[in-house]
Amino acid sequence: MLEKGKISPRQAGELLFMTIFATVILFVPSIMAEKAGHDAWLAAFAGALAGLPSLGVVVWLGRRYPGQTIFQYCEIILGRLFGKLAGLAYVWFFLHWGAVVVREYGDFLSAAFMPATPLSVFNFSLVLLAAWAVVAGLEAIARMNEFIIFLVVTSLLAILALSVPNWELSFLQPVLAEGLGPVLRGALVSAGWHAEIATMAVLLPYLTRPQHAFTSGAAAVLASGLILTLGVVAAISVFGPDLVAVFKFALHYFVHTINIADFLTRFEAVVMAAWVAGVFIKTAVIYYCAALGLGQVLGLAEYRPVVLPLGVIMGTLSVTLFANVSELASFLSNVWPAYSITLFTLGLPLLLLAGSLLRGRAESNGQKENLNE
Amino acid sequence: MNAFSAIVKKLIKLLPAAGNAKGPEKPLQNNRNSRAEDRRPDSSDLDRRLELVRERLGESGDLVTRVFTSGNGRVRLALLYIDGMVDRKLLSDNVLRPIQDDNPLLRHYKELRPNNALTLIEALVTNVSETATAPDLTQALRRVLSGDTALLVDGEERILILGTRFWAMRAVTEPETESAVRGPREGFTETLRVNTSLLRRRIRHEKLRLETMRIGRRTGTDIILAYIADLVNPRVLAEARQRIAAIDTDAILESGYIEEFIEDSPWSVFPQIEHTERVDKAAAAILEGRLVIMTDNTPIALIVPTFFFQFLQAAEDYYERFFIGIALRMLRLFVMNVALILPAAYVAVITFHQEMLPTPLLLSIAAAREGVPVPAVAEALLMEATFEVLREAGVRLPKTVGQAVSIVGGLVVGDAAIRAGLVSPSMVIIVATTAISTFAIPAFSASISLRLLRFPLIFLAGMMGLYGVIIGLLAILIHLASLQSFGVPYLTPLAHGTARDALKTFARPPWSLATWRPKVLDTPDRRRQAGNMRYRPKPPEERELTHEETGDKDAGKR
Repeated sequence: MLEKGKISPRQAGELLFMTIFATVILFVPSIMAEKAGHDAWLAAFAGALAGLPSLGVVVWLGRRYPGQTIFQYCEIILGRLFGKLAGLAYVWFFLHWGAVVVREYGDFLSAAFMPATPLSVFNFSLVLLAAWAVVAGLEAIARMNEFIIFLVVTSLLAILALSVPNWELSFLQPVLAEGLGPVLRGALVSAGWHAEIATMAVLLPYLTRPQHAFTSGAAAVLASGLILTLGVVAAISVFGPDLVAVFKFALHYFVHTINIADFLTRFEAVVMAAWVAGVFIKTAVIYYCAALGLGQVLGLAEYRPVVLPLGVIMGTLSVTLFANVSELASFLSNVWPAYSITLFTLGLPLLLLAGSLLRGRAESNGQKENLNE
Repeated sequence: MNAFSAIVKKLIKLLPAAGNAKGPEKPLQNNRNSRAEDRRPDSSDLDRRLELVRERLGESGDLVTRVFTSGNGRVRLALLYIDGMVDRKLLSDNVLRPIQDDNPLLRHYKELRPNNALTLIEALVTNVSETATAPDLTQALRRVLSGDTALLVDGEERILILGTRFWAMRAVTEPETESAVRGPREGFTETLRVNTSLLRRRIRHEKLRLETMRIGRRTGTDIILAYIADLVNPRVLAEARQRIAAIDTDAILESGYIEEFIEDSPWSVFPQIEHTERVDKAAAAILEGRLVIMTDNTPIALIVPTFFFQFLQAAEDYYERFFIGIALRMLRLFVMNVALILPAAYVAVITFHQEMLPTPLLLSIAAAREGVPVPAVAEALLMEATFEVLREAGVRLPKTVGQAVSIVGGLVVGDAAIRAGLVSPSMVIIVATTAISTFAIPAFSASISLRLLRFPLIFLAGMMGLYGVIIGLLAILIHLASLQSFGVPYLTPLAHGTARDALKTFARPPWSLATWRPKVLDTPDRRRQAGNMRYRPKPPEERELTHEETGDKDAGKR
């Protein structure tokens, strides 16, 4: 066993919530407003529901192979060679995903707060911190998250509540004026993020009560979907859909508009603090999955030796993958959802499930034949 | 039958002889202090043994050997004790006097002879409450060095040990480091026996165990593990025993030595074992299912396992009204954050995020900072360092001089520095607020760790603003989350365990609702008290209405 720690289903749910939510709230509102206009809030929630099938598939797989992560049962289902290749593909996915998240983080910080600071300062400081957390282990990450999730959710709900006086709900009307098409296109983006709940495939064997995996995962998806919907509603009803689509970091500018008694103003740095902590957890979880996965695919006794090399790759990728923030935004809205869903968060797990079911039938048939003989 | 017993006697006589026969063939492997010397044929000879004692202990001024005879000159005896560690009055009145020849009891019994002296004397000195017999000189000397008295009889190998320990000790006083407005005033003292009695008086339960261990090769310090047998988690107990037994060092002069030897991560700034001087706090910990480790010669007892948020709790929380307990705990949580973050946040805001301040405030701060020659980071680091110097100077000095330090350092230098424009008044306010906040944390060991961490945070704030502060705080959080205390996560109960336990970090429950012990401690007996026993006033019974109430004015007349 590479990981000896155990986390409770509640902690797993909270980790997965942060894994989805930390970046969704920053980038997705503007992408969805661009695609779905004033119906973006509908798209947000519909997309969140799309995370459930993904979760269902990996939990089903986890039930069939108790105590094993997706990297391990890959080999049982696909055979040694193809299993290892699929495992490596997943390691790549986590690495790539981690790099994209780190890039989102760095781009946001340098665009919104410290334009003079080079991108790599943000990216590598985050990767370094996350590396430390990964070495500390899954239990430690889960414990940190208990504080950070509180910070993130309360600060977000607080700014949403404080912005209510600025709301102009007529921006949301008319509902479904242009039919379902734009909503579905927007929902695909939200679905791309919420299908990341498939990370459960790695955490599931380390739950103290694996039978609660689906409940806690579903709670994470629905909570994230609800808060995202709320955020989109707030953003659109303050700025209107066109402005939201123009702003890359809608929620950030959103905080600017809050002014309570001329005293509580411009506290986006505080919100930034919570958000940095949230992305840190997200990066730590993804990074952890990549390190653990590589350790399991290579059959190591410890995943810790691969942490630093993976971190160097992740940090470097995060700087070199995109030329600028617009390229990143276009990748996130046009490529990422389709790429991650069809290949990793739903496609490959479905394939594995089908393989496993076929193999199970074949094996039980084989047993019957043996019995007949 | 007689023949058989004779054979047995012969065999018994042969046994030591056989042992001796082996002796010369085997060269002495042990060093000169070898216990083998005790078993020589002259190991019952008084003079030889006294010589041995002198050889082992050397010329020590406080070692007293008093040789005398009794039984009309038939028996030679020697008392061996360390002056200053024994009760001399007890020794002369209740040991020496009963053995004197004119004691009627002694004459009434039989003659005192070398072969019966030990048992007879043990029976005679009834006023010495504790006696024991040591088989050889080595064990007897160990007891003598602890303050007991050894009585050697010429011709008798065994040695009578008399419990005469008595030395000058500090009285039980109010614990200075943890004073309380309401609550018992007794604190632990340096004497272990006094401390155990203080504990016993609070927990009169048969399951209270005081397990003694002795560590320190040269100091031979007594350590006591105090716990309640059916409350303590057996895994934690076994772990503590094992870790303490593994200590092999010269000296244990304070419980801090043990703390460092047995804690999970000695390379951490954070204290992982709580210590206390308060008897009631130690008793409460034991009753919660924890383990208290008491060390001889120090009033500080250790409590394991420890969680971080324990350092924010004071004994008084449980004695005052529970609303006050809730308010105080919230206040301390807030104060902890202030002590850690405030100067760093100030530096970050002043240097990088001026837009966060309301304009009038920003203007007044800017005006005050106008003449300050150094950037805010340097100013903050300088002021914090100055404050630490002042505090340290005040702690080590005698109390009378300490006041002078605070006046000269705090008032004179502080005021002059502001007037001279070396530091800004706002920075002085920030540093002073932070200082007061650190003093509001009940545990000194925790507050000093936070004080230490403030410096890197200020530095990060000066480099990268609030982003740096967050990075620093996240690093601290990673470290805290990876710590454990005796197998229990350090951030329990907020980051681990049940919601009920987590709530106790913010609020101490009213006693009527504190039915369960903390679940994270995993005690065999979780229930603390009967549930639901709050006093509820009975519903008012029907009663006769008074005449005033009915308005019946004529009632009295009737």
